[in-house]
Amino acid sequence: MNPSRCFIRYLTLPAMFLLMLSSLPAAQAGDLIEKGKTIAREGNGLPGSTACMECHRFHGGGMPSIASPRIAGQPQKYIEHEILGVKAGTRFAPVMAGVVNNLSRSDIRAVAAWYASVRTPKLRDVSPYDPKLVALGKRIALKGEWKKNVPACVLCHGPEGRGIPPHFPYIKGQNKGYLLQQLMSFAFLKRADDPQGLMRGIARRLSLQERKAVAEYFASLTPPPADGQPDTSPSGKETR
Amino acid sequence: MRHFLPLALVCLLGSLLPMAPIAAAQEPPSPVVFTPRPDSEIPAGPFGDLVRKGEKIFTQTGKYAGKYVGNDLTCESCHLDRGRKPYAAPLWGAYVSYPRFRTKNMKVSRLGERIQGCFRFSMNGVAPPLAGDTIRSIVAYSFWMSKGAPVGTPLVGTGMYHMPPTSHKPDPFNGKKVYKARCALCHGADGLGASSGGDVAFPPVWGPRSYNAGAGLAKVGKLAGFIKMNMPLSKGDTLSDRDAWDVAAYVDSQPRPADPRKKS
Repeated sequence: MNPSRCFIRYLTLPAMFLLMLSSLPAAQAGDLIEKGKTIAREGNGLPGSTACMECHRFHGGGMPSIASPRIAGQPQKYIEHEILGVKAGTRFAPVMAGVVNNLSRSDIRAVAAWYASVRTPKLRDVSPYDPKLVALGKRIALKGEWKKNVPACVLCHGPEGRGIPPHFPYIKGQNKGYLLQQLMSFAFLKRADDPQGLMRGIARRLSLQERKAVAEYFASLTPPPADGQPDTSPSGKETR
Repeated sequence: MRHFLPLALVCLLGSLLPMAPIAAAQEPPSPVVFTPRPDSEIPAGPFGDLVRKGEKIFTQTGKYAGKYVGNDLTCESCHLDRGRKPYAAPLWGAYVSYPRFRTKNMKVSRLGERIQGCFRFSMNGVAPPLAGDTIRSIVAYSFWMSKGAPVGTPLVGTGMYHMPPTSHKPDPFNGKKVYKARCALCHGADGLGASSGGDVAFPPVWGPRSYNAGAGLAKVGKLAGFIKMNMPLSKGDTLSDRDAWDVAAYVDSQPRPADPRKKS
């Protein structure tokens, strides 16, 4: 036998093992999250870059006072899709458009991975929830307004609005300013990144009062730990 | 085409003439649009309790009638809006249409027997006993919902939408394209639906946890009618007839549990 061949064979096994190790998804995901964490805290280092945490907080709790959404635990794929939408102009977001403009494709993947991985408690909303609106919102959320061809929100946003990964975000426990703003944006402004225009149609068919009500109802709930995860709190389960 | 119309009308009138006196006496049956009462009107007391139980079984069938259910579907998976939506086999249309003769088993069935069929085929499970709580509650729920509906009169939106006959052979290959573009978002490219935190969220449309080959929707025409009027949710009547036929042919060409009548 050729000794050099033997040597190569001797080398290839560990080399292959190392290769396999480096392609392990967990290791990669860890790096990605680390990178995302840095961008969330400091921006991506380019001149004029803004850190995501300025509006979404470091752990993704959002900022109810300016209707900036909580994003902690939303699906990575969804966050990525939304940032790309803002960048491309298909998702109406005048403030964020300037911020994400200099994020590269891999920056976007990284911040999405970071915010998908973090957990954070609910922040106090801007004002108490109006029980009348909450009751109307609950009805629309759990039963729908089929006369106007509006299915129950929970059919696509999951039980209680906890989300159905990866395309359908959680909406329970989101701040009310953001929820209402998005419904208005779907209905009248230029948020056009929803698949098949599903939300645009639904939001347009709701009245202003109904949009407010749905926003109040979902905002009044506790957020899930992450998209699609059931609430562990005793009051968490709202059955239809 | 236009100059045929008067001719056709004359022929039509001519053929009606012998019946004219009768027709004048009793108005031609115009389809009735029916809207069920709001559920806030379900009364208190034992009857109302039975109705409410029926609704619970209807929307969370696995939880409230689990021993009769063999898959991940609920009654509401097909009978949308808790059994109220026209062209999604609404309960108010069903209640006033039974007993009726069905070619499926060449028998006159009562509503309860028809519901047993839902469990056996669409839910791929076993028929609950006619006198048991499950059937009794669903029948009570249907009865309450049809309050005020005329019995034995055609109502708009009863049953499923009947697709007009198509000249083209439904094409599952085009259907697959339509499915990927319009259906896979919720039902998944693999047809297995989606779950959220262990609960079924989007129903599987084929595979071991979907309706079996003996179900009504396993017939391409029926499924096409359901899809045409109801899918994607909130965007009913946006697929062309052709696409509805094709996507139905695709879905029904996929594997699913066998027809229990043919198993042994």
